Amino acid sequence: MIRNFFEWVMGPMGRIAVLITALSLFSLTAFGIYQTQQPPDQPIEFTHKLHVGLGIQCLYCHPGALRGPSPGLPTQTKCWGCHQQMEKTFDPNFPELSEKLVGYIERNEPIPWVPVAQVPDFVHFTHRPHIAAGLNCENCHGDMTQVEIAENPQVLNMGWCLNCHRERAANDPEKLVKLTDCGTCHY
Amino acid sequence: MGIDLNLVGAKGAIAEEAEGKWGMVIDQDLCTGCQACVAACAMENNLSFVGEEDAGYGRTQHWIRIERFWEGAYPEVKATAFQPMLCQQCGHAPCEPVCPVFATPHSPAQEINLQVYNRCVGTRYCANNCPYQVRSFNWRDYHLEPFHANNVDGQLVYPLHNQFNPDVTVRRRGVMEKCTFCIQRIHQAEDKAKSEGREVHDGEFTTACAQACPANAITFGRMDDHESLVSQLAHQDRGIKHLEELNTLPRITYLKEG
Repeated sequence: MIRNFFEWVMGPMGRIAVLITALSLFSLTAFGIYQTQQPPDQPIEFTHKLHVGLGIQCLYCHPGALRGPSPGLPTQTKCWGCHQQMEKTFDPNFPELSEKLVGYIERNEPIPWVPVAQVPDFVHFTHRPHIAAGLNCENCHGDMTQVEIAENPQVLNMGWCLNCHRERAANDPEKLVKLTDCGTCHY
Repeated sequence: MGIDLNLVGAKGAIAEEAEGKWGMVIDQDLCTGCQACVAACAMENNLSFVGEEDAGYGRTQHWIRIERFWEGAYPEVKATAFQPMLCQQCGHAPCEPVCPVFATPHSPAQEINLQVYNRCVGTRYCANNCPYQVRSFNWRDYHLEPFHANNVDGQLVYPLHNQFNPDVTVRRRGVMEKCTFCIQRIHQAEDKAKSEGREVHDGEFTTACAQACPANAITFGRMDDHESLVSQLAHQDRGIKHLEELNTLPRITYLKEG
């Protein structure tokens, strides 16, 4: 039984079958990994490149980063604060604005942005101390003037966090203890 | 340098100072056994309701519980004082060395005993080795159990998920959990104090159980600050530490019948 199977595998049909199986497994894996690296679909195709390029500060739309754990994602009224004064908003050539944004305003609905830079539930990250330590947004989130739809410049994993923590506390043993303590992030 | 042999642990390491950083005092003469601390702890720390069946197996999840004891034989029984029992955040924790994956390390910064949920693999050795029996295990994904849900048009809706504390992890199946001395509140207070450029002062924040206690039987604060209320209470004559003879260096002092 087993011998028959091996003979079939070593034959021409068997080799083709093995090749097809291996190829499909490989391409499925590659496709899966590719999918995890794609930025998620956003309700409005908001371009960071354009807005940051215009000189709008990160903290204008994400003010929570200065004072708490979560930077926050802008509501429709924050967009409207600028966009209601712009002709482009109502131009039918820009359906993202004239249909989608105006639609959210008319329905008085918050825009369901999909957060991109996220950590798991068991990690408690706070923006405030990181900004207070002199980090700029682009140190972790990359240069948003080059990014159309928000995406992650790097994987936000623990090794990456700890590398920076160890580097920055290298000269201060007390700070190093605090910054490499499990209980600082995991509780 | 002389080594105090009382502070040398099983692994030969010298334990940290017996006082520790954070401490708690529980006055058993004031405790009325009302269970307000139990409820407050459950709300603050996203503790699960395990349901009837698992409660029958003794799998209830409480980070603090009220223990009752009796003296004497029936009919001359005399109830002794209620004894709230929670993780003693031992300086020499018996749970720590038995963990094969180091999921329950000692925090060098806060000097308490941590539980790292994402590292825990659920061997339950720590719970077996805890002399205070204060650790509880997640036998299921209790927050996803259908008995928490309302059936709305065939869809399960979990109304209790709206009251989860976002600062505390919702534990998944197969991990151990225990009292953290409300470390999320410690971090919050330290963060606030740091942003204002000062130290955390005594009484600025407290744990959920101490906050809820109507009799003020529970006091929480810095033990290494000898001016703090908790430190002064702990050094009264009527202070005792539970199972002190095991050299666990518990951080919680019980006051009883001075």
